[in-house]
Amino acid sequence: MAENSFQKLANTAQQINETRSNNAKIACCAQYFQSLEEDDLKLAAQFLGEGAFSSISGKKATVGSRTYSTCAAEFCEIDYEKVFKPCKTALGSASEAIEKLIHNIEVARNKHEPSQLSLLEIESIYEDIYSVSSRADKQRILRRAWKKMSPLEIKFFIRIMTRGSLRIGFETKSVVSAVAETFDKKVDDVRYAHMITGSIGKTAVLCKNDNLDQANFKLFHPLSFMLASPIESRSVEDLDGYIAEEKFDGMRAQAHISGQQVELYSRDLNEITHSFPEIVQFFVKKDLPDVVLDGEICVFKNDEILPFQLLQKRMGRKKPDKEIMEKIPVLFISYDLLYHDNRPIFETELRERRTLLSNLSQTHELPITNQFEVENHDHVDELFERALAHGNEGLMLKRGDSTYEYGQRRKSWLKVKKPGGTLDTVMMYAHAGSGKRGGYYSDFTLGIRVAEDERYEEEFIPIGKAYGGYTDEEMKRLNKRIKDLTVEKYGPTLGLIPDIVIELEFDDIQENKRTKANYSLRLPRFKTIRWDLSPKDTDTLKDVERMYKQKINRERLKQEENPSFLY
Amino acid sequence: MNITKAGYHGILLPDLNIGFDYSGTDTQHTFISHAHADHMPRNRNSSVYCTPNTLKLMQRRGYKGDATVLDFGQSIETESAKITLYPAGHILGSSMVYVESDDGSVLYTGDYRTPPSPASEGFSIPNQVDHFITEATFGLPIYKWDTHDNLGQEIRSFASKSLEDGYTPVFLAYNLGKAQEVMHLLAPLGYQIQIHGAGYKMCDVYEEAGIDLGNYESYDRNSCEGKILITTNSALNNGFASNVRKKRIAYCSGWATREAARGQLTVHKLIPLSDHLDFFELIRLCEELNPQKVHITHTPNADVVQHYLDKRNIVSRFLDIEMEEDD
Repeated sequence: MAENSFQKLANTAQQINETRSNNAKIACCAQYFQSLEEDDLKLAAQFLGEGAFSSISGKKATVGSRTYSTCAAEFCEIDYEKVFKPCKTALGSASEAIEKLIHNIEVARNKHEPSQLSLLEIESIYEDIYSVSSRADKQRILRRAWKKMSPLEIKFFIRIMTRGSLRIGFETKSVVSAVAETFDKKVDDVRYAHMITGSIGKTAVLCKNDNLDQANFKLFHPLSFMLASPIESRSVEDLDGYIAEEKFDGMRAQAHISGQQVELYSRDLNEITHSFPEIVQFFVKKDLPDVVLDGEICVFKNDEILPFQLLQKRMGRKKPDKEIMEKIPVLFISYDLLYHDNRPIFETELRERRTLLSNLSQTHELPITNQFEVENHDHVDELFERALAHGNEGLMLKRGDSTYEYGQRRKSWLKVKKPGGTLDTVMMYAHAGSGKRGGYYSDFTLGIRVAEDERYEEEFIPIGKAYGGYTDEEMKRLNKRIKDLTVEKYGPTLGLIPDIVIELEFDDIQENKRTKANYSLRLPRFKTIRWDLSPKDTDTLKDVERMYKQKINRERLKQEENPSFLY
Repeated sequence: MNITKAGYHGILLPDLNIGFDYSGTDTQHTFISHAHADHMPRNRNSSVYCTPNTLKLMQRRGYKGDATVLDFGQSIETESAKITLYPAGHILGSSMVYVESDDGSVLYTGDYRTPPSPASEGFSIPNQVDHFITEATFGLPIYKWDTHDNLGQEIRSFASKSLEDGYTPVFLAYNLGKAQEVMHLLAPLGYQIQIHGAGYKMCDVYEEAGIDLGNYESYDRNSCEGKILITTNSALNNGFASNVRKKRIAYCSGWATREAARGQLTVHKLIPLSDHLDFFELIRLCEELNPQKVHITHTPNADVVQHYLDKRNIVSRFLDIEMEEDD
């Protein structure tokens, strides 16, 4: 089999999947990389680590699950609703169902025209898909391509295309390690080059040609964000060396600024500049040197920071009109400086970066967070309470001597948050899980009571969907119980007799006109399964409305005294 | 023909006073298809009919009642029916029950497999069946088994390769049937095998039936390292061979088709070796028998089987009976 064939890549991915130890997986991948020429190496690393296209390219081969699933049903000449869907539910994976069905069903097998597609040919198929937009066109391309692939190739072709996980226990981080091992480089150097180039394929080629030092940070190429680990403040044993900042209830963003050019990027590295023209104007007027700022976009009005719920109305809007910009004015509050004096400074310590940021703030009037040296736990508690009084989410604790650990979530940054609240809800629907939870019902729609609510005819309406916060044992027990409570089945979803009560914890309540309740919960998860409660004990929509109002209308401490940020 | 379900597991032909895998005592003639827990009578003392090997295996599992044994092909007659047992190919002793009466004929399959397990008495089926009561455990087209030769090869090379690399191979297989089949497939290698006690006590029945299980002994924690081990997943979670650090684990079951099983059971290798027939064999068999009606049991996917039978103009219905995922 040719080294540069897609079949070889699929076999390698499968072999990685069947290997348990992480080191052995990396070795297996490295051995494969070793065998490849430059162009093939670039594609192989990209397919295994990033998807059909490099993340920096901004390209996506967007094909929805329904599009490729109905295409597969047609390919196998089976009924999509009656046959394909139950197969997908049983396996917990559409791509795995497609692999098995095409392997097992004779008419599908007979369509196979052995061709050994190369990695380059696969790339051009993804390009073709990218260039069309209708479902029919995409399916035509898929049908033609699948005829030339084995079932295993088809499975991985779909997983790479959809940019989901390959489900082989080998994520981008491992591909970075495999590239390092292949070419005998330091993992940190390879990771750095990956962050800078935004392409694991390019990084692999740089390694192969021993050109790793050519990877340079460039303005207007977003850098992966440094992330914080959630924690209870009291569990930090040694507060020495930490500084504290209030954690804003806004949207994390990175600003790249060079003269008149300003671009904003969200946490998932998408460009969001167009949604916030006043921030662009704000920075342009400041006449800044070339900088990259890390910070938070917040709604700021009448000397108060307003809740995230308002900011949501600004997010995703291509061109906000004047009215909404006046009603919901936003401000970019900086807390870190990543590029200064024409060089990246993420390897310098936070304290030093902060000094540079403060200077910049003074000379150019930039809003920056107020930072506090923390003294002891009582001081942290006091700051935490004040942050909440400001309407903020909690506190950030950051190590003064830490570098900017892009793309990582470690202990150098900690976030102390208060849970939004809990509700007693009833389980209404159970949904079949996928991946690791395939074969179990693992996602649940939870409802609140509206039986005495004249606006509704139902007894319960959904308030949120949760898929975490329970143990494997609890999930098994729930699955047993669900069997007895099932009254309806719609594909992978079971309709249940209201019986199981779940105490649901969530971060926040948001208004959401697209839901029956008009509200949705942020990050809902199981707190406890209340086997002791019955559905008549659950909370009502009125309770939800009361909690929301309390949050929105509560008094917020003005920013004049002890401000959360300096401006 | 009147066919009803009784409780979670049993099926009755009330007009003929016949029960299949039924635990009640109100039926005159109860036939037990095989010695798996979800088919055996709950009452240890009930009087039943079964094959001689099924009786021996049931006795190993605590059955104390007085059973009438029937060999394959040997018939008995009641006032209203003639009953004959056919080999089901599922495990040793497993049988299908064929009932002929004035109202027509019924074949109750219990659990079955075709092509049959090499550690069973084979598989054969009567030519003429009016009512085909069939299990459909693997009732989806994602389930299609590899040839027995290939699966046997996979099992043998997993064992040899693990031992060569300095690892102890562990096969997860349920205690009665699968365990012995895996041993039978490993026997030609000649390696030492240790099997969990619950499975060990079934083994001599197999040997008496002339099935070679190789060079085996009962599991012993202190001497198990470096031997081929056979056990169940639950035993493995409860300390089985927990003192052996270097293990490689293979899961042998039709459910091993599902990639998710790898993570759920934390195993190295999935070997889809099943004791049931696959979906395609099931549909083919229904076509071949072409009965008046197919009665489908033991499946979460009766709708899919019925959809395929409808397309072939075969009348069918679903007899909703719980299935045990362990088998």
